[in-house]
Amino acid sequence: MTQPLLTIRGVEKRFGAVQAIDGIDLDIQENEFFALLGASGSGKTTLLRMLAGFELPDGGQIILDGKDVSRVPPNHRPVNLMFQSYALFPHMSVAQNIAYGLEMEKLPKAQIKSRVDEILEVIQLAHLAARKPDQLSGGQRQRVALARALVKRPRLLLLDEPLGALDKKLRGEMQLELKRIQHEFGITFIIVTHDQEEALVMADRVAILQDGKLLQCGTPHEIYEQPQSRFAADFIGVMNFIPVREEGGKLRAADGSIIAAAASLEPGQAGVAAVRPERLRIGGAAGENSLIGTVTATAYHGLDLQVHLKSPASPDPVLMRLTADAAEARPLKAGDSVTIHWTARDTRAFPV
Amino acid sequence: MRGTANPRLMLMILSAVFAFLYIPISVLFALSFNEGGLPTAWTGFSVKWYGALFRNGDIMGAALNTLIVAVVSTIMATILGTLLAVGVEIRRRKGRFLETIIFAPMIIPDIVLAIALLSFFSLLNVTMGLHTVIVSHVVFNLAFVCSVVRARLKTFDWSIVEASTDLGAPMPVTLWRVVLPVMMPAVIAGALLAFTLSLDEFIIAFFTAGAGRDSITLPMQIFAMIRFGVTPEINALAAIVMTVSVVILAISQRLNRGGLPGQ
Amino acid sequence: MTDRKPLYLMTPALAWLTAFMVVPCLLILALGFFRRGIYGGIEYTFTLENIALVFDPLYAGIFLKSAMIAGLSALIAVVIGYAAAYAIAAAPQRRQATLLFFAVLPFWSNYLVRTYAWIVMLNREGLIAGIAHGLGWGGELPKMLYTESAVVIGLVYNYLPFVILACYAPLSRLNPEIAEASRDLGASGWTTFRRVILPATVPGIATGFVFVFVLSIGNFVTPALLGGGQFQMIGNLIYAQFLTANDWPFGAALSIFLIAIMMGLLTLQTFATERASGARREE
Repeated sequence: MTQPLLTIRGVEKRFGAVQAIDGIDLDIQENEFFALLGASGSGKTTLLRMLAGFELPDGGQIILDGKDVSRVPPNHRPVNLMFQSYALFPHMSVAQNIAYGLEMEKLPKAQIKSRVDEILEVIQLAHLAARKPDQLSGGQRQRVALARALVKRPRLLLLDEPLGALDKKLRGEMQLELKRIQHEFGITFIIVTHDQEEALVMADRVAILQDGKLLQCGTPHEIYEQPQSRFAADFIGVMNFIPVREEGGKLRAADGSIIAAAASLEPGQAGVAAVRPERLRIGGAAGENSLIGTVTATAYHGLDLQVHLKSPASPDPVLMRLTADAAEARPLKAGDSVTIHWTARDTRAFPV
Repeated sequence: MRGTANPRLMLMILSAVFAFLYIPISVLFALSFNEGGLPTAWTGFSVKWYGALFRNGDIMGAALNTLIVAVVSTIMATILGTLLAVGVEIRRRKGRFLETIIFAPMIIPDIVLAIALLSFFSLLNVTMGLHTVIVSHVVFNLAFVCSVVRARLKTFDWSIVEASTDLGAPMPVTLWRVVLPVMMPAVIAGALLAFTLSLDEFIIAFFTAGAGRDSITLPMQIFAMIRFGVTPEINALAAIVMTVSVVILAISQRLNRGGLPGQ
Repeated sequence: MTDRKPLYLMTPALAWLTAFMVVPCLLILALGFFRRGIYGGIEYTFTLENIALVFDPLYAGIFLKSAMIAGLSALIAVVIGYAAAYAIAAAPQRRQATLLFFAVLPFWSNYLVRTYAWIVMLNREGLIAGIAHGLGWGGELPKMLYTESAVVIGLVYNYLPFVILACYAPLSRLNPEIAEASRDLGASGWTTFRRVILPATVPGIATGFVFVFVLSIGNFVTPALLGGGQFQMIGNLIYAQFLTANDWPFGAALSIFLIAIMMGLLTLQTFATERASGARREE
């Protein structure tokens, strides 16, 4: 592989008694759309602010283009941040906001104007160039904030919860829009989000952070299908967890049913078997990776039907998602008894 | 609140209080246009007392002195006070000691600050005059400017400062191009407040102006005139002085309440 | 926010305040402990005489009278000011700002002019006398100007807007539903006021009282103009030491005493505020 654009090596940050970032290593490649995913307090925003230069790491290195930039002040880094609050200058027009960063580079006036006009076209706000931020809608403000950071053509663009303030419908549109713009400009994006769906939809690779540590890093497919920890499995998407214990190379649930998983536990170890709702199928004979349950509730979601099952194998209800076709082939109602099965390949096991 | 108050009683209270506050002032205004000049009899409308005022060299000289003091001390206090406010609010941790020092000029009784400055200047053998009045006025004026600007900074969105830094601006440029323009209404409001305070300030000026006649300010002149007795000229002067402060203050109030673009 | 502290922003103002406020005030503190020179100068030898003189019976009368006049003024100002603030807070929301603005407006006009207005009102040939005669009052009117009452009226008049402002702040923050809840629980209007509204607004009352008291006791303009120099407040005494009696050390000692009273009252006020808000969990 070529030299990564950004290397984060053993970075640490402490605020008083709180270890905000606890030794993180990451490589990010040129042109990647990378997502830092985590709950609030996971350290994702602190890490982003260290990349921007607003926090200095207590240890470790941040290497950009082969140079250690961890002590370089924010105004001297080829890195720009799109703020969660957008942080538009209220006294400047849209065009002035966007031109500001270029003026700081002391570019000739004509060049600034042409670059501002160009990016206004890209974000489709050329007709609003003279407006002040308080005369714009939330979505328009978001685009201006993006354009203001993007117009500097940074090596790295950081986006702090960029879609957090938008309503759900607009968020969907902007997810695609952001991807399009990233593609068009060929700039590396690092986005911070607590919304796993957003991370999976947009990013080429996702890093999951918890308590200042990097839990797992991979493509959305890897993250979703091969979670490396119980936390990651729980955090991303919906997962059924069935308490089990390892017995002679197999996993045994509370009611004695045998579960085979892609990777097993240590001999005699207690843990959980994890399987996604959409991997469960109706039917099949009793045996491995199969259980009998009673339907307690069904919920119609348009694309699919969610079925809650009560089973002696699991203390928590087992959730199953049936496609519209499967649901029509075998109508279910509360009180029905069904047998379900799934494959070992779709099953993970984690120690408790 | 509303459900528990008797509206008629409330109206009575408000009428009485506003009458108490405004009748004495209104009487002064009316008298300043009374031809005879005496409060006991209305002898006709006239602006002759205003004319007399403008022909009075002492009063005009004092007015000019006051204007000099107010303008110079306001400019200095606005610069110092605004920088101080930004400096204090930009820090994450705030010291109690710092707060006390900044707050003190507003609560120390005037007479104490006045004699303290008088002692200070005379022990240093500083010749007193308008310059010492200006220096002294800056002390409390900067505290008032600072408090007005700080009040506005409490609702200031600091992420725009980071945004400016992120876009490549060094701190002085950020302060000049982002913080100051956004804070401008509050800075002007603070300056206007300082200006009226300085125009009207009597006690500290009285102690720090020295003995010379040529450093008498308007409030000092008014004090001397009132002690001498009631003359119709004072009514006219009082009416002007009051109108000026109230107009400036109303503008200041308007600016500070107007809110910022984008907030 | 950046980690760097822009000290350069604060330095000019802090230097100014240090040179022209902190140092002069420390100087006064020091002066209070020096001996007065024979010809009015200052002898730089340590003495407690000035401080002792403050507590001399000779001056006790003056202090007592000052304190009584200041206390009476503060009390009257708080009663009137609280009533006015309450009435403003009870007014329709959209009118409150305007009412408050006009209640405070006189505060920002010249103090001397406002005091002078009362000379015009109370003068023997003044407005009140004129009205009384106009109404057919034939006899001799009681003397109004140059009395203690005139001084109290002047102080109340000058500081009333401040009290209104101080009392309005906690009243306006009060959730109207608290009073309604009290009524709903069966309390009368008066009980609701006494048990619910008044305790929640003690901080404003305390602030108003302390400031009127301190500003009054240190005042020398109002006693000089409306009291006609008949009696002295601490302010007049300080004034005299510096400008006529030329006993600076004693004047300084009086100032220290004034500041001590103020700080004592402010501490009490902070205590009252904390008790009222129940915010005693800082430790």
